[in-house]
Amino acid sequence: MSVLPWCVAAWLFAVGIYGIATSRHYVHLVGCLSVCQSATYVLLLAVGFHWHAGPPIFYDHPPGTPAVDPVVQALVLTDIVIGATVTALLLAIVVQAHKLSGSVDPQRLRPLRPNA
Amino acid sequence: MAPAATFLPLAVLLPLGAAAALLMLSHWLPPRSADMAATIVSLLLAVLCGWLAWRGLDQPIVHWFAGWNPASAGRPDVRLGISFAADAPSAAVSAFYALLFAASFVFSWGYFDKVHAHFHVLMLLFLAAMIGFCLTRDLFNLFVWFELMSIAAFALTAYPLRESSLEGALNFIVTNTIASFSMLMGIGILYARTGTLDFALMAHAIAGHDGALAAGGFCLLAVALMTKAAIVPFHFWLSDAHAVAPSPVSVIFSGAMVSAGCFGLFKIVIGIFPLDRAVVAFVHDGLPWFGIVTAILGGLTAWAQRHLKRLLAFSTIAHLGIVLIGVATLTPAGEAGMLLYIGGHGLIKAALFMIAGILLARFNSCDEITLYGRGRSLWPAGLAMAVGALLLANAPVGLLYRAGDVIDHAIGWRTASVAAVLSSALTGGALLRAAARIFLGCSGAPGPERNAPTEREREKSDRPLWLMLLPCCLLLALALLPADLLEPFLRRAARTLLASSNMDAAATAALRQTLPASAFLAPGLAVGLAFLSLMRRRPVSRIARAAARLEMLPFRGLDILHSGFVTDYVVWMALGLGAIAMVFSLT
Amino acid sequence: MRIRFRAAALAASAAALFPAAWAVIAAMPPFGEHVSPYGAAVNAVVPAARHVSNMVAAVNFDLRGLDTLGEESMLLCAVTGTVVLLRGARGEGTSGSAVRLPGRAIAQRSDATILVCRFAATLLFFFGVYVALHGLVTPGGGFQGGVIIASGLLLLYLGEGYAHWRSIVRGRILSFLEGAGALLFVLVGAIPLALGKAAFRNILPLGTLRDLYAGGTMVVVNAAVACAVAGGFTLILLEFMEETRAPETEREPGEGG
Repeated sequence: MSVLPWCVAAWLFAVGIYGIATSRHYVHLVGCLSVCQSATYVLLLAVGFHWHAGPPIFYDHPPGTPAVDPVVQALVLTDIVIGATVTALLLAIVVQAHKLSGSVDPQRLRPLRPNA
Repeated sequence: MAPAATFLPLAVLLPLGAAAALLMLSHWLPPRSADMAATIVSLLLAVLCGWLAWRGLDQPIVHWFAGWNPASAGRPDVRLGISFAADAPSAAVSAFYALLFAASFVFSWGYFDKVHAHFHVLMLLFLAAMIGFCLTRDLFNLFVWFELMSIAAFALTAYPLRESSLEGALNFIVTNTIASFSMLMGIGILYARTGTLDFALMAHAIAGHDGALAAGGFCLLAVALMTKAAIVPFHFWLSDAHAVAPSPVSVIFSGAMVSAGCFGLFKIVIGIFPLDRAVVAFVHDGLPWFGIVTAILGGLTAWAQRHLKRLLAFSTIAHLGIVLIGVATLTPAGEAGMLLYIGGHGLIKAALFMIAGILLARFNSCDEITLYGRGRSLWPAGLAMAVGALLLANAPVGLLYRAGDVIDHAIGWRTASVAAVLSSALTGGALLRAAARIFLGCSGAPGPERNAPTEREREKSDRPLWLMLLPCCLLLALALLPADLLEPFLRRAARTLLASSNMDAAATAALRQTLPASAFLAPGLAVGLAFLSLMRRRPVSRIARAAARLEMLPFRGLDILHSGFVTDYVVWMALGLGAIAMVFSLT
Repeated sequence: MRIRFRAAALAASAAALFPAAWAVIAAMPPFGEHVSPYGAAVNAVVPAARHVSNMVAAVNFDLRGLDTLGEESMLLCAVTGTVVLLRGARGEGTSGSAVRLPGRAIAQRSDATILVCRFAATLLFFFGVYVALHGLVTPGGGFQGGVIIASGLLLLYLGEGYAHWRSIVRGRILSFLEGAGALLFVLVGAIPLALGKAAFRNILPLGTLRDLYAGGTMVVVNAAVACAVAGGFTLILLEFMEETRAPETEREPGEGG
């Protein structure tokens, strides 16, 4: 049971990569990128967790009560914003690409060549 | 606080503040003010980083952000804050990048003349990220600057809004985002292992107790940085992105962004893993093979291109393979060679992309076969292109030649020397062939480049020619400087980053050697290859036709390999990670 | 590559990676039993040093404020990129009507929707401001509050329709807000430098623990991040919503070379 989170993270990453490599729709591909990203969140948050420790907010409890690692939570917060921004950029490009070429299939769109 | 330490954070705060101010005031600014502001900011940064490099020669200048010094945690194994350390190599590389940005801003003057200054905001954020990437000593901070660099590059690639630009941007984004996730996984694993994010503390925690976690973390970080540095098999995105981005942006991509990937790899190996035997063995014995394959593959693919920007992109891939060989030596000589190569290659490649931009602006195409003979009126650009091509082919003048020589001596592998000669000859020869076709009107029948991917496009065309040529010629002039001028700086700089003994006598001698006869091998081969390809005639007899088909085969294979589909690229990245894991277990 | 080859290549790389991945997983510390020295030091030192009770916010806005500045700049980049991509091809006209696709019925908005959305949008706006203000004492902060405010503004679109929404939510104000947030953050970093201290150093009075004003410059940074995130995300939503606008002329000019 103590290796479960690491296995989950590895599995999520692998599944996300598989989804991207076999994708037929760019929006589906963006979703698979989110799955890969969730793998990193699971890994980081699991690294910081400690049994019987509370959240690192010392409002109800005095400072000094056992708390989990706040640093990884701050890192994950940063990553969530990064992920949201990349997703927004990708979706904007997909919208534009669809307007110009009529297709959102990753296996039909490629630069500098006439589309198959 | 010492003045140098006070000015150090300004290296990132200045471009970030300037970008935020430009965004705020974008609706009310007069036209051209954004161009001027951006150029002034990048020149200021070049001066600032140059000064920091000079001040940091003997002792790196360190700045702890928010005042969280190493003593503030009360225990020696924890450092609560983030630090920047400007040692001479990092600050010198930052100054070089700022200089390239200034040249690119001058080149793009008037290119993006619609209001709102969006291009300049993105480029200034890009510059801030590159400087932060070079100066930081904290692993997650490195990731933040890596990601900012990537996002700014994504937006800039898709800027022209053509179909090709959007598709190239999609390939770029998907591959590099997977790379950044890989970096995050590596950071998670290393944090679990060491409990800190500061380079020095991580090195201390890993020292001697190397195990699977440090190795796994390194492999994942290496995947991310090798993707940014476009090392085989993570390189497929680069040709798509460089070919479709606007020319001022391609100048920065090839001149600065990819070499930052190699520099970052060097920094983390020296900063975090210098005492991990397994990682050092992998870097020393396994990475040069990646570099050799990259150099040869890049050179061969470049030979079979006709779209000038795509050709230059593949030549960048080839030369970055040689930089990786320099990184892999882990000696002061190799480091000096790597720094010099980053500088020399960056200058030449930036100038060549500017020439491609000039051709696009004047003739709506940068395809060497379409432009056959039409460049005669632009003979200064042709002259510059020929000079750049000869320098890339390792002509024995200037910075690039000396850098390649130092790396050669530092690694001492016969295979690496052969690969370097071959790739320089192929890339230089391809460019000479293109220059002769476009500017002199010589040609025979087109060879394998006939079937290469290409398209017609256009860039804004009413900029004066002298304004576009000026930064190009300036950069080429800098690349022609004799390396002896930089030798004293490099000798002291390379020592500080590695904190080890001086460069050995052989390498020092290599830095100021006289020309051996073998110096003319690569440029001679390049000129010969270009001449032969221009003398080609259409095959008529059966033997000639069979020979022509046989010649096309490997290039056809390379073209199928670089298919343009992002799904294939992701599969190659997965295979590459598997290859790294297997090579790691072998070394 | 055909899909069979791709699947086979992925299987091959998975096979090559499996022993390495298993070695790494086996070497990872057991879940929940590993205390990181960095986190423990933060929990021990920061409440007394900075008088805040939300450690995550302290790490984000003070200890690792430079990371947060980088992330704000990423938001700036992505928003600028989205604006260029979507507005560049579409142009900047201000026609007030949504596009009518032929063959699609126009559904009337029900009164219940309008009423609920007005309530909910107002509630969400105040809730977002509450979460942002209390970011240093309870879970929350600038990011969370900013995103809640942005989604509240989106509810207005649902309730009011395109034309009214467009008149309330203006692109210029949003990009000014976003740029101002980022610039304020940079100034918080640069002003201590001018005073001879480290960048991002806490130079304001620190306030009291568990109070609304606590942490000194963290309050300013929190507000700056809230402004920037609210402005940035609303601008992204605005640009995507603008795709539904009816074009004014046949082809509108845009940016791009």
